[in-house]
Amino acid sequence: MAKPPISNDIRTLRFLAGEMTQAELGERIGVTRQTIAAIEAGKYSPTLEAAFRIARVFGKPLEEVFRWEDQQIQP
Amino acid sequence: MAFREKIAWLTLGSMVVAYTIYFSLLAAYFDPGLPAGPRTVQMLALFGGVTIVQVVLIIIVSAVMGYRAQREAQARPDERDRAIARRAGSIAYYVLMAGMVLVGVVMPFSEPGWRITNAALAALVIAEATRYGLIILSYRRGWHG
Repeated sequence: MAKPPISNDIRTLRFLAGEMTQAELGERIGVTRQTIAAIEAGKYSPTLEAAFRIARVFGKPLEEVFRWEDQQIQP
Repeated sequence: MAFREKIAWLTLGSMVVAYTIYFSLLAAYFDPGLPAGPRTVQMLALFGGVTIVQVVLIIIVSAVMGYRAQREAQARPDERDRAIARRAGSIAYYVLMAGMVLVGVVMPFSEPGWRITNAALAALVIAEATRYGLIILSYRRGWHG
């Protein structure tokens, strides 16, 4: 399946949260460090539940963590 | 590399080696002219030997890998692991179905029993290789369900 046009700011948010490690974040939301790495790299789209859990860890609304990158169709 | 990806590499690698040896030896040394009894024993001895070596190898290597990464080995599969396993399993199912249709519906009209048995084994091996190959590919290239 094609990569969806979704990006995220998890790396930045981890940095702002005192350089939280991928393993720490993974532990808090119940996934492995490799899954966090895959999400950050855009190699895996998390479930809605995991996305909300990530946003809650950083105390941010979902749209401040994940963004839909609009691709405007040129006329 | 994720622990489950390492296990998939190990299983795929050992399976490809083991069954390449099995089918090569079968092609080289199996004598279909033997009576049914000794022929079955010869085939089962070859199959049993290859399978036992493969299973023992997987157990030993995965135990060593598990010892070196205890936390990862004991962790339950997370949502990405499960999504990848589901995708690989569902695609491999179609490969297995195609093989079984060939073995169970087409071959009985033209092929002897020992060949049908080995074709069924080959279908299983190909389906499993497809499953582990897709698991590895999904971990490497990414998975967007």
